[in-house]
Amino acid sequence: MEVIRYRYVCAGAAFIIAAAAAALAVSHQKVQAQQSQGRTVYEKHCVECHGENGKGDGPAAYFLTPRPRDLTTGNYKIRSTETGSVPTDEDLIRSVRQGLYGTAMPAWDRVLSDAEIHDVVDHVKTMSPQFATAPKVVNVAAGTPSSPESVARGQQVYERLQCGKCHGSDGRGTGAVTTDFQDDWKQPMPAADLTEPWTFRGGATSRDIYLRLRTGMSGTPMPSFADAAIDTDMWDLANYVVSLGRKPVWSMTADEIKQLYARQDDEAKRDPIKHGKYVTDTHMCSICHSPVDERGRMLPGMYMAGGQLVRLPPWGDYPTANLTSDKETGIGNAADDELRQAITRGTMHGGSRMLPFPMGWGAFQALTADDLNAMIAYLRTIPPVRNKVPAPARTWLPAYLWGKFKMLILQKDPPILIYPGNIGSTGGR
Amino acid sequence: MVRTIFKWTLIVVVVLVVVGFGAFLYAVPPFFITSPEDLAQPVNDAAPPVAGISDPAERALAGRGRYLVVTSDCMGCHQLPTSQGPDLQRFLAGGMLFNTHEGTYVARNLTPDAETGLARRTDDDVKRVLQSGVFPDGHIASYRLMPWGSYTNWTEEDRHAVVVYLRHLKPVRHQIADVKPPASFTDPAAIEEVFAGKDYANSR
Repeated sequence: MEVIRYRYVCAGAAFIIAAAAAALAVSHQKVQAQQSQGRTVYEKHCVECHGENGKGDGPAAYFLTPRPRDLTTGNYKIRSTETGSVPTDEDLIRSVRQGLYGTAMPAWDRVLSDAEIHDVVDHVKTMSPQFATAPKVVNVAAGTPSSPESVARGQQVYERLQCGKCHGSDGRGTGAVTTDFQDDWKQPMPAADLTEPWTFRGGATSRDIYLRLRTGMSGTPMPSFADAAIDTDMWDLANYVVSLGRKPVWSMTADEIKQLYARQDDEAKRDPIKHGKYVTDTHMCSICHSPVDERGRMLPGMYMAGGQLVRLPPWGDYPTANLTSDKETGIGNAADDELRQAITRGTMHGGSRMLPFPMGWGAFQALTADDLNAMIAYLRTIPPVRNKVPAPARTWLPAYLWGKFKMLILQKDPPILIYPGNIGSTGGR
Repeated sequence: MVRTIFKWTLIVVVVLVVVGFGAFLYAVPPFFITSPEDLAQPVNDAAPPVAGISDPAERALAGRGRYLVVTSDCMGCHQLPTSQGPDLQRFLAGGMLFNTHEGTYVARNLTPDAETGLARRTDDDVKRVLQSGVFPDGHIASYRLMPWGSYTNWTEEDRHAVVVYLRHLKPVRHQIADVKPPASFTDPAAIEEVFAGKDYANSR
């Protein structure tokens, strides 16, 4: 009897061990499969901005403000965890699903399935050793519901904590020391305009704002106020920040929209360089006027330095101009009017003319005088890069006539060709 | 004597015809003999005016949107190309061909046509393309192809105004083929090739 029982126990133990081993093997396989699935999702959807290795250096990265996250550092802005801690899975899933408002990170919930989002988050976590430590989750106490009293107390907290030094006394930069900050990677990072809650990266509810105050936004100048203020103060402050929000245009009446646009025009006139940066950044200038490598990544230090070769058969080679403020090779010595002629009429230095494409000078003709002047004012502030770009080279006359013949008579459509690299004097690579 | 005159007349006529044909090829299309204003104004004016929009708030937004659409040169790529130049009657109906090493793209139809245009897309779908180049099927267009690397810098409010304006364009039925695998390049050293001489909506 004893022997039989012993045999059963042995068999049972062996079964349990085998089952556990099998389960372990399956789960290990599952983790690996998930990682490779996550990698597939990552490579399809994330590389253009975050780069192959997650360094935040994808081809598009150089054109975005703020820059895409460097996923290898484990540093995240939007967390529900203590300063210095990694975010929770839910934090990351939220950021992927909803996107980061006011940045180029879109909401992926309409594009990726829940499973794909989980997989890609698992993959992103493998990119930083920081995720070996467990996240230290902030214990969010019951908040203070918004009331006129809470908002009034919040305003006092806003003054006591000197939020206005960065965000301005009105939440939109008035009286701020500066609103142009840099993040830990020396990339531009403007202070949030607190009157535009739809641009708050991690959402605009009191709870979202409380968490940003409580945990800080790692990698940015926004610190944690956990040591400087007690919980109830931060809730009051969050309620105050919510109260600063204005209506977005999609909820405005026609009169309100006109007032807003008038105010924006007014502010643009008062700070033409800042407005000029907006006009320049939104009118594609840097995409062709900065040379890139064969994968479309901007050559280091060559922002707006020109030298990208554009070949327009049968007309010839039209390299993009150096738009930096360099006096000899850039626009440092060009008069405002000369720049205006180039931007809106395609007239180059010396009076010869550009083709109507690919530089959209015909479209820029529709720019208002204020926008055009602001654009020029901003271009003059771009740090000089010495890069002598050769003049456009027209095709040899017989070749040109033959090209035209092919195009017009034989109806062969020659493509516009755009080349990587810099044909200017600096080389840049 | 008569033969000599005939011979020289023939030579002069042949030379004149050859030179004249050369001069014709040289000057057509007249990019360099037309003033920049005459070249650009019709293209910019082809953008439908917003005065006819009945809702006043929408009209105000569409006004801003029209300004952004025109000055941002959406026409540069989304105009319907013909061998005689862009088809201004079918504003932003798409059709140019873009060869990249990732794929072959045809500029999309941005008019609010129910079956072939943007009426099939939600505002969020359109904004996502403008903000991050992510299309509804999940693929990402290079920032160089559809220059979202530039339009991503629009404020959310300006992006909204652009979408409002696009919704008020004249609908044009123009089916655009989906993205295709990369085609061979005329010059493989190039990073992209743009074909703008005719409508490529369904070719290749």
